[in-house]
Amino acid sequence: MAPAHASNIAMTIVIALLAAPVLAEDIGARLAEAEDLRQKAAEAGYEWLETAALLEQAREEAEKGSLDNAIALIEKARLQAEAALTQAEREAEAWRSRVVR
Amino acid sequence: MAAFLAALSLPCTAFAGPEEDRLAFVSFFQSRFPDILFDEFANGIYAIDADSRAQWLEIEEFPPYEFAIEHGQSLWQKPFSNGSAYADCFKQPLAEVRAAYPAFDAGRAEVVTLEVAINDCRVANDETPFAYDASELIDLTAYLGYTARGKKIDVQIPADEPGALAAYEYGKRFYYSKRGQLNFACADCHVTSVGMRVRADRLSASLGHPTHFPVYRSKLGGMISLQQRFFGCVRDVRARPFELQSTEYRNLEFFLAYMSNGLTINGPGARK
Ligand code: HEC
Repeated sequence: MAPAHASNIAMTIVIALLAAPVLAEDIGARLAEAEDLRQKAAEAGYEWLETAALLEQAREEAEKGSLDNAIALIEKARLQAEAALTQAEREAEAWRSRVVR
Repeated sequence: MAAFLAALSLPCTAFAGPEEDRLAFVSFFQSRFPDILFDEFANGIYAIDADSRAQWLEIEEFPPYEFAIEHGQSLWQKPFSNGSAYADCFKQPLAEVRAAYPAFDAGRAEVVTLEVAINDCRVANDETPFAYDASELIDLTAYLGYTARGKKIDVQIPADEPGALAAYEYGKRFYYSKRGQLNFACADCHVTSVGMRVRADRLSASLGHPTHFPVYRSKLGGMISLQQRFFGCVRDVRARPFELQSTEYRNLEFFLAYMSNGLTINGPGARK
């Protein structure tokens, strides 16, 4: 029993070692994607209040090695940036309906 | 009936210019508050909220912005190091400086506000420009607002100046666009929900907002500019605020000041 248990642990370590660099790269790509969407929302004049701070926190968590936290924060920021861009697209025409006539 | 209304509204939607917009804006608030005289809208929320009005009138007996006016006056009168003074940049009589802004500057092809014009004057005289939240700058505008009391807001959109109309349209669009995580337009609060209660506040009409700035806010214990209010309201809907005196806020100010044309300048003001 004991050897199997030990090899399980060894296996876990091997997987973690293999996975870690992949994840770090993955985080880099996810960050870049979310940052790009945030910038698009800002260029449209529709960036939300928290998005930049969420990405900043995500970077800090990633540096500390808290990859799960980092991914959750990036995901939140990405959803915000996407929603802001949808808002910008909708408002390109929708504002007209509110003009006092 | 529906067809009749549609026919009526068609030409408006297609060709509404600034003056049609303004008349519609004014009549919206006048029909929402039939007992309030046009000029009263210059008093913001105190035009429509009788409860807080009494408190405000008491505050106005010992105006908390008095120091800002005095400080602004001494800054205005102090010559620059080169011997010139603000009065050399602003050629109009003192009481007419405030009402000359915001204005569309054709040469620069952009809206110039009073704050920008003051900084331009400083730069032209080799002085460093103020930060747009600097108390010196706000106090200068308090003094200019005070000397302009009784004058009318009179924003011009010259017909031969397409840039001025474009800046106005930009500001109008900004005003009516929903933004931020809370998905609110300025108009959602200051037109549609005017008079309604939001937490401790009642919502004032946008008609008259530009007349009384800068404003002493007791909550903050200091003076703030109109654009600092824009900044705060944009942040409150959880959108990322724009820089003070950004193109966005200057065009917004241009639109809103035009909507308040004909109202009497009564700055500086006092607010909660
Ligand atoms: C969610 C509601 C809400 C939205 C949206 C909103 N505001 Fe406000 N605003 C307030 C409240 C509440 C106050 C304080 C009470 C009052 O005077 O209306 C206020 C105050 C102000 C004032 C100061 C009024 C005075 O007399 O001192 C200005 C100017 C202003 N808002 C402009 C804007 C502009 C421009 C926008 C759009 C960018 C905007 N607001 C969007 C809620 C809102």
